[in-house]
Amino acid sequence: MKVLVVDDSKIARMSVIKSLKEIVPDAEALQATNGLEALEIFQKERPRVVFLDLTMPVMDGYEALKRIMEIDKAAQVIVVSADIQSEAKLRVLVAGAKNMYPKPINHEIMKLIFEKDLLV
Amino acid sequence: MNLEFNEDQIDALREFMNVSIGAATASLASLLGAFGTMHIPKIEICNSHELAGKIESTIDLNSMYYVTKQLFTGKFGGECIFLVSEASATNLGRHLYITQNPSADEINDAVIELTNILTSTIVSRLTQELGTQVQFFVPYLHFTDAHSIVYEGDISEYSKIIIISTILDFQDQQINGNIYILTKDEAIESLQVLIDEKLEEIYG
Amino acid sequence: MIKIKYPDVLLDSLENGHMIIDDAFNVSYWNRWLCINTQVPKEEIIGKSLEEFFPEINYTVLQRKIKTALTIGTPTFYDANSSRRFIPIERNKVTTSSLKLMQQQVTISPYIVHENKVMISIYDISELFEAKLLIKKEMEKAHKLNEKLEADKEIIDKNIMVMKTSAHGVIKDISSFFCDFFEVTKRELLGKNVSIFKLSDMSDIIYRDLWETIKNKKLWNGELQYRTSKGQEKWFQARVVPILNIHGEIVEFSAVFHDITKEKLLAELYITDPLTKLYNRAHFDETINFIAKHQRKAEVDFILAIVDIDFFKRINDTYGHQVGDDALVCVSKNIKKSLRENDLVARWGGEEFVIMLKNVTLDEAQKIMEKVRSNIEQNIVCHNIKVTASFGLTKYRENEEPKETFKRVDDALYEAKEGGRNRIVVK
Repeated sequence: MKVLVVDDSKIARMSVIKSLKEIVPDAEALQATNGLEALEIFQKERPRVVFLDLTMPVMDGYEALKRIMEIDKAAQVIVVSADIQSEAKLRVLVAGAKNMYPKPINHEIMKLIFEKDLLV
Repeated sequence: MNLEFNEDQIDALREFMNVSIGAATASLASLLGAFGTMHIPKIEICNSHELAGKIESTIDLNSMYYVTKQLFTGKFGGECIFLVSEASATNLGRHLYITQNPSADEINDAVIELTNILTSTIVSRLTQELGTQVQFFVPYLHFTDAHSIVYEGDISEYSKIIIISTILDFQDQQINGNIYILTKDEAIESLQVLIDEKLEEIYG
Repeated sequence: MIKIKYPDVLLDSLENGHMIIDDAFNVSYWNRWLCINTQVPKEEIIGKSLEEFFPEINYTVLQRKIKTALTIGTPTFYDANSSRRFIPIERNKVTTSSLKLMQQQVTISPYIVHENKVMISIYDISELFEAKLLIKKEMEKAHKLNEKLEADKEIIDKNIMVMKTSAHGVIKDISSFFCDFFEVTKRELLGKNVSIFKLSDMSDIIYRDLWETIKNKKLWNGELQYRTSKGQEKWFQARVVPILNIHGEIVEFSAVFHDITKEKLLAELYITDPLTKLYNRAHFDETINFIAKHQRKAEVDFILAIVDIDFFKRINDTYGHQVGDDALVCVSKNIKKSLRENDLVARWGGEEFVIMLKNVTLDEAQKIMEKVRSNIEQNIVCHNIKVTASFGLTKYRENEEPKETFKRVDDALYEAKEGGRNRIVVK
């Protein structure tokens, strides 16, 4: 299963991938460091799941989310952000994200995501 | 003492800071009943005498500023500086005291309150990420021009400084400010140790 | 960890106020300090709302701060410099105080979060605050003084020639006025040695005297001559002061210069005869009186000579005053060129000149005067007109009043005139 992890921080990507492998050991993790890269990879690889950060250089998560949903209405995007304002969550859910979680993601949250938010 | 940070360490610190500022923005958003735009934090390591210049390069030199400084001690200790321009501070005073013309005392208190929440949340969250604890001191405030924010004499005991800076941005309320977290020598060293532990945990 | 058995005793012994209230401002703890300082006993306030006792507090702000402390789990604070006191408490300090009410630092710490309870701590920071006010006042004074000093410094910089050098004479600072005067820039001079100003014009003797004096840690006051790049001669009154450190060692020299070129010219005019450019009678009188008064060995050895143009009235009457003046100038030049540099010549009156010949014998003086006499006789004044002159000579005698010397030399001149003019008589 292809999973795209988008974050400008390496440690943040690694943290998501670490939890991901614990839950889905055979997951193939693709990485992008900003929204624009994410769009290119999404277009080419069509991953089943996207973990998306919001605050990023070049293109932020809000814009990337909008474009991904334009490419594929059925895309499964989980926003993982340091922005924990309730309004931020409202914005991304309206834009089509499956759910939003505050950073950092741990084993329990990852388990929850795959049980409740995603169709795999 | 090696005070240089490698790429992974900087990346980790920026990410922890990002999480901390997220928490602070949320606290402020609930205080102000508003939505804040988050910005990517900047991390710089410089010599103490460069500090004034670094700060001056990020602000409007024609404005007067409310400068609040709050100390925190512990394994990761340092000083948090929060700069808010006169115009922003007045908007903040209006917003928090629900009045069109806030008094000087009201503006001061509003700035202190904002700094308090910012510093407490950022530093608490940061130290929580790093697995340590800190104690906070009373913030102190002064009103000054852009060139008198940092005095050379004030920072004589800092030799190397880490400047973690970001922008607080509540566009609709026209409230914004600059946040600088300064930490020095030994604190930088323990910060490195704490970061390395975190990196080890994640990278395995 | 020990369990504190009597927390009340502990909190009551503290020298600051502590209360526990919830977010509806209900008081559940009130320590002894608060009882004493607010005059509200704990029996009265506990279980009741703070609002009943202290209606002046802004409860909207307080509630927000309580909420913040409970939410973020760390203390919140009031601005310690505020002129608005949390609870107004009169100070009973009798001796000097600028504060009538206690200056307070108020901290709101989360206490029992699930019961929405916080502890409010009040610290008396009046003394500290007073000290701060005092420092602020002093700083303002210092600032004003500094501004005045800066202004004075600017006045000096723009109007006075000042130079500072290191102990070795390296130029460290110069005023703008100095630069303007010498038409140089500060950059050109800083770091250079002062010796660049020592041109050949400046006599070695003065220069050596200057250095000897200031190196001996004494002040030097004197006149310096300088020729500008455009060839103008300038005179300066200089005052050079060595600056010593606490060990008495020279750390730098400061020098103040004052342009006295005009004064110098005026002084010269004052002692010069306008027609002949020789010294005038006043200057000659002053010099000879000075010598007679001090009787210095090196100075009293001189010959006094007096020269009178023969039949000068006749020249004036025959050819007019212009020719008379020409004759005077011509004779002056002839006298001057036959003498040595340090001999003194002055116009004594109408057609009379006096000469002081230094360190010569009467015989030698007579030979010199003989040369002058024949020079005058042979030179044409103008339009083929020639003149002759008569001479009186005498030696100055030690301790003698100048008028006695003049009496003798006048007698000698009288004899020369009587004896047929165009001759020298020695007395």
